[in-house]
Amino acid sequence: MQESISEKRLGGCALGGSLAVTSFIRDGITIIHSPQGCAHQMFSAYHAMAADSDSFSIPKVIVSNITNREVIFGGEEALLEALDRADAENPALISVVTSCVPETIGDDVEGVCASHAAADKIVYVPASGFLGGSSQDGENIALISISKRACPAEVVPRTAVIIGEKNLESEVEENYAEVCRLLSRLGITVSLRFCRNISAADIGLLGTADFFIIRDERVEEAGVDIANRFGRPYVSSFPKGLTGCVSFIREAGLACGISEAEIMEAVSAEEEYQEEQLSIFRELSGMKVYLGFEPFAGCHAVAREAIERLGIIEDADGMEIKLPFYLPVGLSGVLKMLYLWRREKRR
Amino acid sequence: MRQIALYGKGGIGKSTTSANLSAAFSEKNLSVMQIGCDPKHDSTRMLMHGRWIPTVLEQMYEKKDIKEEDIIFEGFGGVRCVEAGGPEPGIGCAGRGIIATFQLLEKMKALFGDVVVYDVLGDVVCGGFALPMRDGYAEEVYLVTSGELMSLYAANNISKAVARLSGRSSAKCKLGGVICNAKNMDNEYELVKEFAERIGSKLICYIPRSKSVQAAEVNRMTVIEHDPSSEQADVYRKCADSILNNTDFRIPNPLSLEELEDLARKYL
Repeated sequence: MQESISEKRLGGCALGGSLAVTSFIRDGITIIHSPQGCAHQMFSAYHAMAADSDSFSIPKVIVSNITNREVIFGGEEALLEALDRADAENPALISVVTSCVPETIGDDVEGVCASHAAADKIVYVPASGFLGGSSQDGENIALISISKRACPAEVVPRTAVIIGEKNLESEVEENYAEVCRLLSRLGITVSLRFCRNISAADIGLLGTADFFIIRDERVEEAGVDIANRFGRPYVSSFPKGLTGCVSFIREAGLACGISEAEIMEAVSAEEEYQEEQLSIFRELSGMKVYLGFEPFAGCHAVAREAIERLGIIEDADGMEIKLPFYLPVGLSGVLKMLYLWRREKRR
Repeated sequence: MRQIALYGKGGIGKSTTSANLSAAFSEKNLSVMQIGCDPKHDSTRMLMHGRWIPTVLEQMYEKKDIKEEDIIFEGFGGVRCVEAGGPEPGIGCAGRGIIATFQLLEKMKALFGDVVVYDVLGDVVCGGFALPMRDGYAEEVYLVTSGELMSLYAANNISKAVARLSGRSSAKCKLGGVICNAKNMDNEYELVKEFAERIGSKLICYIPRSKSVQAAEVNRMTVIEHDPSSEQADVYRKCADSILNNTDFRIPNPLSLEELEDLARKYL
């Protein structure tokens, strides 16, 4: 389902999206070039979401504190002061993320960053608050801006870089583990999670990827941009549902130039494993269920696939079953959903 | 209290005209205030004998407890001179500076007297520079123009802003007339007069080009102070009288570009 502008806006402005990326560079500092209020709002939202997903590390964030004075006379001096404060902490990377205010009054943020003594470790992320669009746009802007620090390098075969994980999603680690499980069937490892708990030096690994895995459509813009820049293939999303796992293995194998025979072997092993795991839920066969509200685009399709495989009957008068809020990733996401259904049935 | 704003193309002579009008008003024993609304902050320099007075925006951020004497300075004829000030070229938001200045003047209850003259930057480039026309400040706008096409073009654009703002139910601002600050072009008087009439207003005064203006400026004075018996000083006095006696304020009907060009061609 295509999100409308207003729905996208519910997630806040581009500043929040960019912050959700830059905050996950462990040895970096983020400067929010904005009034205090914007930084407070964004950081509060970030902190609440991070806590909700059991992430309790507090990222280093500095605000340049644009006031009425900076609006009138320009915020460049305030930014310079913030850069000095950030540099004094000796971070490996300084991400300068802008709100709408400095972009509206025309601060030359890029010029200020380039002229600072620490220019080599400064990345300008022109999020531009509401001018930059939604939170989703902010994530793309940040990913693209930071990726420009990496240069093409010699490919390390059978390595993948994941682009744009949902850092504030509650099941981000489970989803990552599922992707790694599927990739391991082909001997592929993830060399970089861009950007999730990485160091600034890790960014260079972008250039060595055999291929890229884009988390989902949300960060397609950044993913495609990065893949094209490095001239490497990409897989367009994490695996969605059961057949999604199989196609994910195929796509990853082809992206790495792995032989058809090896891919087929990995696919067969996965299909066998799926049957084994689904057999745990055979008691659900024949159950009548009703799929209610779809909380996330694609949830119904994933659920219907499981319904069909297990011989469950979809019926308007059936038991209304819960669907996960986020789209289930791979087999592990489907199994988690089935556990919920079984619990409801047993109740 | 009469509150008048002078708008026009950059370099057309708004500050010279404003300062001389303020000087002429002061000769009539009126309490006069002139507010320069341009980051260049040179509107009141001739009234202040060449002194660059501290601007409101400078003082606002330098002094914790800002007082009237920090921002209002007495010039020739007792005219109270204020400069809004603003950012250096190419940075910040000068329009926001004008808004902040007016908010402060309002808070300090500094806007008083018989006549307040607002000398506003070249064009109404944003809402900030339209502020003197809004919120009950200037109730009369005078367009300063010569007969040059680009100057008329700017005046016509400003009349669009006046028309837009005066069309609002809460608006008090109307066009008081057009001041021709002549470049001594052929048929200039007729051209600017017809322009004024075509936009639904009138030519309020015609200020011929005169060496006495330049002579006064190099001596850091208004013409009225430097050469009070000159013809040019009388021109400014008559212009001040016309403004004080003016009771005909209109919502203008701006011309289209084609109409404006046709008009300019007519008087070539």
